[in-house]
Amino acid sequence: MTAAIELDGVGKRYWQLSQQAMLLKSLLPFSRPTKTERWAVRNLTASIEVGETVGILGRNGAGKTTLLRMLAGVSRPTEGRIRIRGQVAPLISMGVGFHQEMSGRENVYVNGMLLGLSQAEITRRFDQIVEFAELADFIDTPVKFYSSGMYMRLGFAVAAHVDPDVLLVDEVLAVGDVAFQLKCIDRMRRLQQEGATIVVVSHSMHAVRLLCPRALLIRRGELVFDGDSETAISKHHELLTLDAAELATAAGDESNRTGDVTILSRELRGPNGPTHHPDQDEVLTYVVALRFERPVESPQMVFQVVTDVGILAYSMQTTLGRSWRRFEAGETVQTEIVFRPRLGGGTFRLVLVVTDRSGNSVLCRDADGFLMYTAPRLGTAGIAELEATIAVGEHDMTDHDSLLLASAGPGRAGDRDGAGSDPLADGNDIGAQPAWVVEPGERPEGHPWRDVGVDRPLRPGLDNPEPSAPGELLHIPLVEPET
Amino acid sequence: MQPADRRHQQVLEFAPHPETRRQWFAQLWSYRSVLDILARRDFQTRYKRASLGVIWAVAVPLLQAAVMAFVFSHVLRVGSGQRFAVYVMSGVVAYTYFSTVVQAGSTAIVDGAGLTDKVWFPRALLVIVPALSSLVGFVVTLVVVVAITPVFGVSLGPRLLLLIPATALLFAFSLGVSLVLGALHVYFRDVRFLVLAALTILIYLAPIVYPQTQLHRFGPWLDFNPLTGIVVLFHMSTVGSGGPWVRAVVVSVCATAVLLLAGTEAQRRHDRLFVDLL
Repeated sequence: MTAAIELDGVGKRYWQLSQQAMLLKSLLPFSRPTKTERWAVRNLTASIEVGETVGILGRNGAGKTTLLRMLAGVSRPTEGRIRIRGQVAPLISMGVGFHQEMSGRENVYVNGMLLGLSQAEITRRFDQIVEFAELADFIDTPVKFYSSGMYMRLGFAVAAHVDPDVLLVDEVLAVGDVAFQLKCIDRMRRLQQEGATIVVVSHSMHAVRLLCPRALLIRRGELVFDGDSETAISKHHELLTLDAAELATAAGDESNRTGDVTILSRELRGPNGPTHHPDQDEVLTYVVALRFERPVESPQMVFQVVTDVGILAYSMQTTLGRSWRRFEAGETVQTEIVFRPRLGGGTFRLVLVVTDRSGNSVLCRDADGFLMYTAPRLGTAGIAELEATIAVGEHDMTDHDSLLLASAGPGRAGDRDGAGSDPLADGNDIGAQPAWVVEPGERPEGHPWRDVGVDRPLRPGLDNPEPSAPGELLHIPLVEPET
Repeated sequence: MQPADRRHQQVLEFAPHPETRRQWFAQLWSYRSVLDILARRDFQTRYKRASLGVIWAVAVPLLQAAVMAFVFSHVLRVGSGQRFAVYVMSGVVAYTYFSTVVQAGSTAIVDGAGLTDKVWFPRALLVIVPALSSLVGFVVTLVVVVAITPVFGVSLGPRLLLLIPATALLFAFSLGVSLVLGALHVYFRDVRFLVLAALTILIYLAPIVYPQTQLHRFGPWLDFNPLTGIVVLFHMSTVGSGGPWVRAVVVSVCATAVLLLAGTEAQRRHDRLFVDLL
């Protein structure tokens, strides 16, 4: 085996200037802008064999893109040495440097030549490229009129048809529609089979899991893990939650007090105690302790689940405009949200928003929230887990083991045999019933929700009206009954 | 498969130090086909969406030269006679090329950031592109100027051959200035505006719109402006020599050599660092 990519103590230093250098100022002897050094990447040593596909994980600013830029040769390392064998085709975010005024056709040529093809070679592959990009009708239109999806497709199509020995992929799978993403993954699989070395940088754990047997985890510019991607992903997630916790402590309760409501603590409880990695079928309780800094009349709550790229996966709010209780300044209260994370695989942020009675003014938005990671069911992608099954003709093609793997929650044992029982039968109305909690003595007389939830069969953990032991709490579901 | 094999076997090495001079020039040379296509596109896209198309590449500098010639020979009367009109036109055409190239070239690396922060190729290519693509318009304009010269009663002669070294020197000098300024502009964004300011002044610091003798005892000082030598060569080939020219041309050639050396050196050393500042 020969190494396709060798990194030997690679480091990249940036100078962070307090301001952009200016010609006149730099000529004056005493007014040099103060600069602080920042190592985007430091001490990176790794070796990637020919034909390997390796993912690079790390949170934003960890140095992934810097590393990729150095691999592409665009940026020079400050220390260390990089050796790359063969033709490199970088595919970094949106398209590889297209010229806005030129048509798609011309850009294919310029781009292909920049990637090392000759004009004749491009001509030979041209039809393939256009077909792959699905741009036959627009190939003579200047790319500035392209949508971002078209732009991206063309970029990927060119890079993928260069027959690179080393393909560098950065966040490409985050754009474009699902059909095209699948096509890209397909194409990358083919390049893999043909022996190409591929480096994938992606925030999508899904893409990394799908393509890369091995992953490097980078944190603050340093390599912290190099090994199989499953371990890397779980380590990555550990670090994410760790960093988030660190950040929260660093910010401290004092600086958190800017709003009208202070978040005191957050905790996600699963059946086996506090967790960051719930299974999809577990009934979870998200507990947020908060303190009102000024008197608030009948606050309302919004519970949101947001993906790691900021897409709202779920939002649920209490009924606006209802009067129910006044909280005094300094009063603390615990909010409990019960839900089931029927989400696709990935990192999700649980966000609690507290508003006034009308919902018009936000008193507190817990934007940092709580980071939670759910493992995807095998063969699934996306932000929702619909527990779909696929039957072709009479033949059930669903991997029922994977259905169970992710949803080993209570009451699911009957599904184990798969055939015959509807996997949705038990689950379809549970997760939608969050509840929150107030102290029983504080409940105002004639509260409109008082009797909610008792006319339905009780399910453990959800509609339990018994006050639980500590704090004498009572669950009051926020959803009104149908009348 | 044969041509592909070469690139599949290359081993790239990136280290903190820049490439050697030999490596850098070899790379520059290997990217010549890219340079060719970029220059072509640059020329085409500039005029593509205008109804008169490429005609503008000739019409604008020609009009500029004609107006300048008219103003300085008939309104301000710095010089006199029809010879002077040709004198101004040939100078202005050369200066227009210089000014177009330097304006585009000095900002090329920053303006081309979108094209360059993903794939590497020698950044100097971006600077060379405007120098090449403007050459087409320049040559055609020059031909038109020469063609109408007899109308002004100036006879043409074998001295026209001087246009070749004159154009070569103009190209090399413009390129040298662009390479140096292009590298500098990445670090200091003032350069863009300094260039604009300098270009409006420079035209009066060379004998373009007035005869050098007009300045009396200050005239010889113009020789130290490298542009003077270039313009003098153009004058010599169109209207014939008007006085001493050796010193001015020597200054131009030396300045061009120094600028080209400094420019390629700056580009080589900073090539893979530019991206960090874009």
